[in-house]
Amino acid sequence: MSPLNTKDRPYSIRRWQGPLTDELVRRPAQFGLGQLPSRLQPDATVKSVCGFCATGCSLNVHLHQGEAINLSASPQYPVNLGMACPKGWEALTPLSAPDRATMPLLRQGADLKPIEWPEALRTFCDRFKRIQEQHGKASVAFLSTGQIPCEEMAMLGAFAKFQMGVLHGDGNTRQCMATAVAAYKQSFGFDAPPYSYADFEQSDVLVFVGANPCIAHPIMWQRVMRNPRQPEIVVVDPRKTETAMAATRHLAIRPKSDLVLFYGLAHLLIEWGAVDRAFVEAHTQGFDAFAAFVRQYPLAAVAECTGLTEAQLLSLAELLASGKRVSFWWTMGVNQSYEGTRVAQSLINLALMTGNMGKPGTGANSITGQCNAMGSRLFSNTTNLLGGHDFKDADHRFKIAETLGVELDRIPTENSLAYDQILEEVEAGRIKGLWVIATNPGHSWIEQGRFRRLREQLDFLVVQDMYHSTETAQMADLVLPAAGWGEKEGTFINSERRIGVIRKTRRAPGQALSDFYIFKALSDTWDDRGLFDQWTCPEDVFQSLKALSRGQPCDITGIRDYAHLEAAGGIQWPCPEGTEPETERRLFADGAFFHADGRARFCFDPPAAIPEETDAAFPFWLLTGRGSSAQWHTQTRSAKSDVLRKLGPRELCLEICPEDAARLGIQPQERVCVRSRRGETLATAIVVPTVQPGQVFLPMHFAGTNFLTQQVVDPHSRQPSYKGCAVTIEKR
Amino acid sequence: MPNSVTVERSPIEQYLRKQQELETPVARFAQRHDAGGPAMEPYYRDLIPLTQPQPGEQYAFEVDLDACTGCKACVSACHSLNGLEDEETWRDVGLVVGGDRAAPYQQTVTTACHHCEDPGCMHGCPVLAYEKDDVTGIVRHLDDQCIGCQYCVLKCPYDVPKFSERLGIVRKCDMCHGRLAEGEAPACVQACPTQAIRISIVSKTAPQADAPANRDFLTAAPDPDYTRPTTRYVSERPIPDNVRAADAAALRPQHAHTPLVVMLTLTQAAVGLQTAAALAGHPLGVELVSALLLAAGLTASILHLGRPLGAWRAFLGLRRSWLSREIVLFGGYAPAFFGLLAVHHVFTPLPSMLWVPLTVLGWLGVASSMMIYHDTHRRFWHWPRTTLRFFGVAVTALLAGLALLPGDGVWPLLAASALVLKLAGEFAPLLSSHRSVPTRLMRGPLSGWACARALWGGAAVFTWLFAAVLASPALAAAGVGLFLAGELCERVLFFKAVDAPKMPGGFTA
Repeated sequence: MSPLNTKDRPYSIRRWQGPLTDELVRRPAQFGLGQLPSRLQPDATVKSVCGFCATGCSLNVHLHQGEAINLSASPQYPVNLGMACPKGWEALTPLSAPDRATMPLLRQGADLKPIEWPEALRTFCDRFKRIQEQHGKASVAFLSTGQIPCEEMAMLGAFAKFQMGVLHGDGNTRQCMATAVAAYKQSFGFDAPPYSYADFEQSDVLVFVGANPCIAHPIMWQRVMRNPRQPEIVVVDPRKTETAMAATRHLAIRPKSDLVLFYGLAHLLIEWGAVDRAFVEAHTQGFDAFAAFVRQYPLAAVAECTGLTEAQLLSLAELLASGKRVSFWWTMGVNQSYEGTRVAQSLINLALMTGNMGKPGTGANSITGQCNAMGSRLFSNTTNLLGGHDFKDADHRFKIAETLGVELDRIPTENSLAYDQILEEVEAGRIKGLWVIATNPGHSWIEQGRFRRLREQLDFLVVQDMYHSTETAQMADLVLPAAGWGEKEGTFINSERRIGVIRKTRRAPGQALSDFYIFKALSDTWDDRGLFDQWTCPEDVFQSLKALSRGQPCDITGIRDYAHLEAAGGIQWPCPEGTEPETERRLFADGAFFHADGRARFCFDPPAAIPEETDAAFPFWLLTGRGSSAQWHTQTRSAKSDVLRKLGPRELCLEICPEDAARLGIQPQERVCVRSRRGETLATAIVVPTVQPGQVFLPMHFAGTNFLTQQVVDPHSRQPSYKGCAVTIEKR
Repeated sequence: MPNSVTVERSPIEQYLRKQQELETPVARFAQRHDAGGPAMEPYYRDLIPLTQPQPGEQYAFEVDLDACTGCKACVSACHSLNGLEDEETWRDVGLVVGGDRAAPYQQTVTTACHHCEDPGCMHGCPVLAYEKDDVTGIVRHLDDQCIGCQYCVLKCPYDVPKFSERLGIVRKCDMCHGRLAEGEAPACVQACPTQAIRISIVSKTAPQADAPANRDFLTAAPDPDYTRPTTRYVSERPIPDNVRAADAAALRPQHAHTPLVVMLTLTQAAVGLQTAAALAGHPLGVELVSALLLAAGLTASILHLGRPLGAWRAFLGLRRSWLSREIVLFGGYAPAFFGLLAVHHVFTPLPSMLWVPLTVLGWLGVASSMMIYHDTHRRFWHWPRTTLRFFGVAVTALLAGLALLPGDGVWPLLAASALVLKLAGEFAPLLSSHRSVPTRLMRGPLSGWACARALWGGAAVFTWLFAAVLASPALAAAGVGLFLAGELCERVLFFKAVDAPKMPGGFTA
């Protein structure tokens, strides 16, 4: 009883208690949760890693009779330290949405009609087999995701490639971190983000490039704010974002001048002799050629190109040369570019040449997007053979065949095509069957007008998703109803390589099945090979993944089981057998990189031409990105929460600066038409000084944006260049 | 799952069954032991006061704007840890923008109840469902006392109390008073990743003067002089003078409150007609129409309440609440009128010494209705405008009531004139160059209602003019019908076009 309720009351006719008051009355809960409403008192709790972004926060799921009734952030988990972003707090809500797919759906004319699972499984197999018989094995492909656990990714990759004989499959991770993968592979010899989140707290100079962690990764920003070293926080971004506001300096560079900026900084540092010669000589290769190359980027030219002043450039270079702990952090502003790999490597180069690698508070660090983006990099069996292996390497194929008990000749000897190439094969009529799992390319893929036309080219489109209402599910011939996060078990790997467990705390609606069971059922139906007979639960698969990782940079044979992961608060790879995992750990403390010679590479190229310059007809440069912390990608889940919907804009909003708005006569909140060479969309104009003249911004969470973007990809990573194209704005 | 014995014919049936099983993994991994006190305590220990407020002090939210970066976790955590309705949120995060090309400025602003020193909600509540705690200063809402009249929603300049259709009451932030009493931090304080929200102790007598940072409360927020909010927004970054709410230009038509539209229009018309009848020797027809309108209006007012059974408590707020006064005045007026009417026409005509006080009571009721809206401090409802509308209806109805009786046409002419003046008063601001929010709403999204209002009103005027020329009570009666239709539209606009103040919202809030 609170003291407030026991004091003298002047009016006895006032009702301080009763059924309505009881609805919200809080009383002490168990499990260290503090006070909770009476009707939400848990009888147990369980930790589960969040299923939205790659931060990998642990959520403390409150259970009543085994079922999730609420959740809060886990206090002691080393990633999030008791905090979560609004998406995490609302993680259970999207599970109860009315548009969950509860039965398999088969297209009959214009409609999707419910069917039973056996018919759905037969249809899947019959239709894809028929296509493969007519057009060859490679005429069926799959597009998967960074949203399902490692175990399910491995099953998908194994079933599709080793059983169906599919050659090409890729994931939506191509849209978010392929560039980081390509950059790390070339520079370090393995796709290995070197950092730990502790580096946010231990750095003296944090340089964020094309990253807005305040709203995109709020829990990482929490770690920055915990930094006790009074760090300089530098944000390189054309927009004055939330993070730019919170930074100590903001460099509002001209879009796509980042590569020149970082080459210019490298040049200045070399001129000043601010190079860690010992580190460069002991652990890298190619520095001299790089030093010669960056001579083409003198201060004045860099200032001219980037729109920054020479003073700004000199001051930043001094900061990098100061000998303090410098860390570089990038997100989609770098990755989603036609030359993103080289931009990422220009940051890696700066870290390498200044010796800011493998030490506390340093590194060239890619912050990625999806909850299991890292898992897909290692275990999706798409670009890499399972466990970060190489399809083209006979020894690797042999190892995988042995470990999984698969016939060697069923393992493809070539890599998958990338996402964009798969879609080009569809355009060309060579891929006729497509299977889309836990992703929504009908909204997220670049240049939607072109994507939507692909539907006509496909003989059979299967979509496996939690919801029957996504843009892509609505295009499908067959929809397989999937259980979501919270309704199944497995492991995710976060941005700092930490493996964490997700828990099953809700019953999936209707006949929705976890992807684990769907893949098992499809495998059972495809033929009697019994590919997955050895795996009766996701943890069985995890044991196989461990075996697959043996001897790799991502070796996790030292992890015993899910209980071990749980007890340790997640475990970062590598963790080979015989080692005890530490709580937080970074790579390359020994300076040993993963290339055969142990040396990191300096990779560089001159900047490429901008694919689409602005001109008189399309005078504005369109920037895209995350709009709010409450919205997740195509909003298939986040829009299912009333709270999250309240916390983001209700409709597509175009950010435009006051000068341009005045020139075009656009009033705040006015509806405008945004048009590119490829399409158009309506948006509500928001007049803000945070975007620069000649630039406009649209968030990616509404489908209209990608009708404008242009399908151009980075040549190394094949990641689409979402972050820029030319548009025009018209009043309606 | 029931342990029924079934023969499973296919793997898919097994998978479907296993998919529905929760027990095994939960039993394996659930943390069943009690971990003792609140595990979050180390994170919020420094964010709540160690002591209770002293006399003359109170608790207040303090927001470090430099640390608030727009993650909005506070909103979700408050929602989850307090068990709110699906769409109910007690906290919100808005955005202010400003600055110039050299130094663009944007700042997210987290906001909840400001636990005002002089709470508008509390002063308006007719049933004393609000209490400002003597010790903590927390403004609490007594959910079981609330009758769901939603007057507090109109009184609060920060859009804090939220009405629940399911429960029929409003609810609002209570600063997690029970948590604070036990040394736990409020949900929002616990959940902020950057520790931007804390509970501080402020002087209750004059927090503005005491805290320089709070003197202006928050640029782009409603004027703090009205309720004296206690939340402090602090920032070491200079805030540009030109900042405005990101949704400042957004037009937000407000709720129409249909029962109130009906109640206000009909009670005012009824008082006017009743007065006309009293002046004209109590013609039964006019008096009956008046009584019927009054009955219909008061019935409608009950429909407005989320919990009408508690309405009898409405006298409790008489000392402070104009709504309480209105309820008591009309609550006395209606039965008195019906009683006098019955006695006068069934038994014996009553002397005017009984009718005069009744009539005065009716006009006082209309005055209290006017004060209810004036007292919200909303510009569109400031007394001159509300008087024009509310007394305008009553006076026009009075004149129209006299026009219903056989006569020489002067009354319909006067009724038409009164309505013309009222229409002119309503529409004049629309012609001004100043584009206020109500004007922009009425010229924009509410233009349909504005046209309807003008057309019905114009039709009534012309009908009464014909009635004057032809000296036709029947035409005058038809005019009354058109008039009432027009006034109902006017009252819809009165509610929908109001400039409702609130804290800064997001882009399209």
